[in-house]
Amino acid sequence: MNPILSFVIILIGIYGLAVSTNIIKSVFCVTIIEAGLILLFLNLGQYEGGLIPIMEALGIEIVDPIPQALMITTIVIGSTITSLALMISIKIFHITGSIEWKDFIKRK
Amino acid sequence: MLKRLRTVTPLIKYLLIILLGLVLTMFIISFADYQTIYNNISRLFYQTNGFFDTGSRNIVTAIYLDYRLFDSLFEAGILLVAVTGIGWISQHDDEQENAHFMLDKYKTPELFITFSRLVYPIMLLFGLYIVLNGHNSPGGGFQGGAVIASALLILFYIDLKKSTNMKAILTIEKWLFISLIIISVISLFTRGELFTNFIPLDGNADLKSIYLIALNIIIGAKVALGLTAVFIAFLKEGR
Repeated sequence: MNPILSFVIILIGIYGLAVSTNIIKSVFCVTIIEAGLILLFLNLGQYEGGLIPIMEALGIEIVDPIPQALMITTIVIGSTITSLALMISIKIFHITGSIEWKDFIKRK
Repeated sequence: MLKRLRTVTPLIKYLLIILLGLVLTMFIISFADYQTIYNNISRLFYQTNGFFDTGSRNIVTAIYLDYRLFDSLFEAGILLVAVTGIGWISQHDDEQENAHFMLDKYKTPELFITFSRLVYPIMLLFGLYIVLNGHNSPGGGFQGGAVIASALLILFYIDLKKSTNMKAILTIEKWLFISLIIISVISLFTRGELFTNFIPLDGNADLKSIYLIALNIIIGAKVALGLTAVFIAFLKEGR
């Protein structure tokens, strides 16, 4: 059930990207997609009774550490990409005077 | 083209919802038996070999600093490029004080400043603890770097007259990235393969942790400085 829920979050983000007319809202939708992706990946390696991947004693049963290691990098990259997008949208606001997609496209 | 872009008609919205529902049903059908496709070979490999190969009790740290160090190198590169781009896009001026605009408009409450002074050293110590024990306990360079960055951001509220040099931060970031590459290439001469631990494979676990601690410190410093630079850029832009 949990992977389906996180995929629903990703689809909500895609719908928002398609519909939103505001640049800031588009950036938020990218963040929502990223959150759903992180949830999806973290759910993949889980199973009942699995411990966190820290070998404090030998022979304990751990969950799959690969998705967690991938998602650590995703979180850091996602935060920087979001801030880069927000900085570009600030620049667009300084140039065009609004943060609507239609004004930005019309200017060209 | 422009007319169509200006307003998204309700018909297109309904069509989009139907399309996304179709994608969702495809996902549910293909994910129904993922437990049988998803095998636990990699999990069992890391469970048995992870500690002996890398000397790290935290298997996640073992993966992003030893098995898949290539990923982390490119991740650090993306961080460097993104922070440099943010610094380049925002027209910053080195002489100006950072938090001047905060002081003018919002007047930071006295209570917040007092409690920040109490919390600041504890947060810094906690971040350093997370970075230094990344190979033994939950944590590592990325998480500890984020904690240290939030501690440094509190410093801007305490000391409103503080001004930082953005160019110096970017220069330190570049040198940290170069040292990250150099440390990970040393293993070519001691072990004969690129991008792993430079201590030989049959070495002691305590000896192997030297490499892990060094890389965790470098990555932590990179993340902390990068997030601080992003915050400074936004502070200067928001005037």
